[in-house]
Amino acid sequence: MANPPRGRTRAKGARASLRVDPIACDGVGICSHVAPDLITTDPWGYPVIRAVPVSGRRASQARAAVRACPHRALFLSGKQE
Amino acid sequence: MTAQLRLVEAAEPDEDGLLPQPVHYFGESGTALTELQPQSLAAHRRRFGPRPRCASPAAASGLIDRLAEAALCGRGGAHFPTAVKWRTARSSDATQTVAANGAEGEPLSRKDTALLELRPHLVLDGLVCAAETIGAHRAVVWLHQDNHVARVAVARALAERQFHERELPIDIKVAPTGYLSGESSAVANAILGGPAVPTFRRPASASGAASHRAVLVQNVETLARAALLAYGGLGTTTSLLSVAVPTGIVVLEMSSASTVGDAVRAVLGGARTHAVLVGGYGGSWLPWHRASDMALHEPAWQVRGMSMGAGILHPLSSDRCGLARAAEIAAYLAGQSARQCGPCVFGLAAIADALQALADVGRNRRRRYRQVSDLAELVAIVTGRGACHHPDGAARMAATALETFAPDVQAHLRGGCRHSTYRSGRHG
Repeated sequence: MANPPRGRTRAKGARASLRVDPIACDGVGICSHVAPDLITTDPWGYPVIRAVPVSGRRASQARAAVRACPHRALFLSGKQE
Repeated sequence: MTAQLRLVEAAEPDEDGLLPQPVHYFGESGTALTELQPQSLAAHRRRFGPRPRCASPAAASGLIDRLAEAALCGRGGAHFPTAVKWRTARSSDATQTVAANGAEGEPLSRKDTALLELRPHLVLDGLVCAAETIGAHRAVVWLHQDNHVARVAVARALAERQFHERELPIDIKVAPTGYLSGESSAVANAILGGPAVPTFRRPASASGAASHRAVLVQNVETLARAALLAYGGLGTTTSLLSVAVPTGIVVLEMSSASTVGDAVRAVLGGARTHAVLVGGYGGSWLPWHRASDMALHEPAWQVRGMSMGAGILHPLSSDRCGLARAAEIAAYLAGQSARQCGPCVFGLAAIADALQALADVGRNRRRRYRQVSDLAELVAIVTGRGACHHPDGAARMAATALETFAPDVQAHLRGGCRHSTYRSGRHG
């Protein structure tokens, strides 16, 4: 764990950030397959969102992850491109 | 008896204070041993005069400015600037309710109960001033359902006020007893008709943000200090502390210039202490030599990345093993999770198991070596991953226990313990 995983903090320099509502999240895990550059999972299968800028390829991954979540637990916050 | 006499002598009656004497709560449920009587409305009015009216725009902004000048911050644990909170609530049409939060989830805290029991009118004055200032139409006192002492005291105080004060009606609302039912988003959610569990606020969702703003939740000590400021007093030069002692919890008021050592000596005399848990179960362990000279002044802790939380000190006597105590606390915190967020449900249980493995002496050594690195990793994984700060507090307690009790970790790995009662069992 190089970076402390912080699902709620906004990535530095990013215009939008991908966040997870930890109450809605049930650890389904589809998001980490859809957005491997942005999301890893913890030992129990819950998503850990990497503190990296959400732009370019990552932005399309982020949108796909938001759509893929069956619990609607993921969302983009802040200014989007 | 001698201990009690010493307690009484230790305190100087202070004109601007909240509690002129320490109050000793015995045992788990806690009957208070004190010479202090609940202050009647008549006595309260004799001391302070009529309650300041805050409804006019000039009075409201004047009070908010005083709160800002005095740098009053929330005494429930989060230390958020009160003036900022009130100003936001005042400018928002959404805020209709003010809640005086007296539900102390923290098992080692009794200051809010002491205040409601002995100085209820100061808290209620603060509550009414808050409601007038922000233009709320409803005021609520939020309590744990089994806190009969506070409930009776508040009910009696409200009955007195009913005939003598012209102010908005105040309701008592009760929460199921639990660590998290006093968490502010849980209080707001319950007052709006939901369950008393923490909620997650999505910044994008307008409805979620509005419901969060609909209730101004303020700790009862914060309200009492706001009332002192409204009366033209000082308000923020002291703070209420709860100090855990073997027989229960002592609530006392200390100047912010005094130190942790002063507070612990005031209640425990010269008893040998090797570490202190500062800020309650979700707080930080510190070795005694580092803690004792720290001032009881929140900014001094925050620059070191720590907090006094709701003003709780848990000194650990030299015969008790810190790892055993930390493991007990971690198990308690894991059990108190609201069970809404996965990282909290699974992470806190894993942290509690890892700490227990370190606390046990004479088991599988290799397994325990692994626990040290596991524990550090678990702390990193859990921190910041819940809807509320419950997992963060548990992780902080575990991480600081590892640092503070590093010599004990080594001793346990070698198969011994440096403390006579390493299996501590229940303590006070």
